[in-house]
Amino acid sequence: MAHRALIHRAQDDVAVAVADLEPGERLEIPCQDGSQTQRVTAVQAIPLGHKLALRDLPEGHEVLEYGQAVGVTTAPIRQGEHVHVHNLRSKRWGKSVAGQASQAS
Amino acid sequence: MPELTGYVRPNGRVGLRNHVAILPVDDLSNAAAEGVARLIQGCLPLSHPYGRLQYGEDLDLTFRTLSGHGHNPNVYGTVVIGIEPNWTDRIAGAIAAAGTPVEAFSIERSGDLTTVQRASRAAYRFVQEASSQSREAVSARDLVLSIKCGESDPTLGLAGNPALGRAVDALIDQGASVIFGETSELTGAEQLIAERCSSPDLRASFERIYRDYVDFIEQQGANLLGSQPTEGNIRGGLSTIEEKALGNIEKTGHHPVSGVRAPAEAVSPGSGLVFMDTSSAAAEMVTLCAAAGSVLHLFTTGQGNIVGHPLIPVIKISPNPLTCQTMSEHIDIDLSALLLGEISLESAKDQILETFLRTARGRMTAAELLGHREFVLTKLYRSA
Repeated sequence: MAHRALIHRAQDDVAVAVADLEPGERLEIPCQDGSQTQRVTAVQAIPLGHKLALRDLPEGHEVLEYGQAVGVTTAPIRQGEHVHVHNLRSKRWGKSVAGQASQAS
Repeated sequence: MPELTGYVRPNGRVGLRNHVAILPVDDLSNAAAEGVARLIQGCLPLSHPYGRLQYGEDLDLTFRTLSGHGHNPNVYGTVVIGIEPNWTDRIAGAIAAAGTPVEAFSIERSGDLTTVQRASRAAYRFVQEASSQSREAVSARDLVLSIKCGESDPTLGLAGNPALGRAVDALIDQGASVIFGETSELTGAEQLIAERCSSPDLRASFERIYRDYVDFIEQQGANLLGSQPTEGNIRGGLSTIEEKALGNIEKTGHHPVSGVRAPAEAVSPGSGLVFMDTSSAAAEMVTLCAAAGSVLHLFTTGQGNIVGHPLIPVIKISPNPLTCQTMSEHIDIDLSALLLGEISLESAKDQILETFLRTARGRMTAAELLGHREFVLTKLYRSA
């Protein structure tokens, strides 16, 4: 059966929807590195290409995708929730943003 | 599989198309170049808005970009037209030095009408000579190719870019050279590219280019968060530049980075995987690759970037089912089955290589059929 979402690496905090997901949809999400399938329920609509949390994430958490940090949460996120620009922010371009300390390498 | 064929140039380089370019040196000469292209069938005017009162590094880049197009291996011959003879001869001289047939004309003391008449006779001869040339069997070792992604979304990181990465690995195994770039879109993954540089010197060159770019952004006091990721990226589900970059570099495959180049700096066959310092804007990036000698571009898109180029075929690859369905006339390779797990990465790679071969042999791309001929010079700073 075609999958509905995918995980890049086993240690990732998020999966990516490969179809529009409905609220309440129960998912069995395969991982591209061949590691174990994870079971998560989408708690809200997740459009194709968008991310959902694989576990509860506190505010200020460094989110892993591709096994690498892709940003920091700006609010607590529950398992199955949509993860996007409303609750995830880049760690880069730090010096380019007025009034912020440098975080760029 | 049919064999790879192309046009062998007098200098030994191999092209996959056989264009005659009408190259204006400056904005003022676009009208004459377009006039020639209206009179003589089968030639291509490369109109652009620059070439006056530029200086320093910015002028060097414009000269390199213009002459690089004039002697791109997809070009049989080039007619150069400029407002005055000095810069016109500089461009024509660089094209001649590369071994490409070239004729140059300047407008001052002749006017547009006389210039169009003279330049048209040169274009007439070049098109007729080009049309009598045949394709020959060639090797992947003769080819310089280039790659980029645009209107990216997470479907590229999951499917389109890993598939292109496999195809890039296979093409380099066969001896082809492949250019990648997009300096800004490496942010968050630049350390992974640095680690793949084949020597400490090369790594230092790469790191210097990346650092200069970041310094430039910071000097502007600008906030790239508003444009990287782009609104299209965000709509597609990309949240941060790091996420975009990690998906982006999947398409570079697994070979070491064996070259680092300035924008539009020449890349010869036998160079392997080469990083070039470029903008991430699609038309600017493809234009710089063509200037460096790329003869074909492989382009993955999530939300549907429709870019093309006047001289080099741009093959569009998308794994996004919505894009393949709603914009099918722009997509050469539909990889939505890979996203849904219905085909393997290996089979997706084979589809890319098969379409590459057919396109190399002359099959027109979506962008060629739809008349996408974006030719966009990278401007470093304002003119004097």
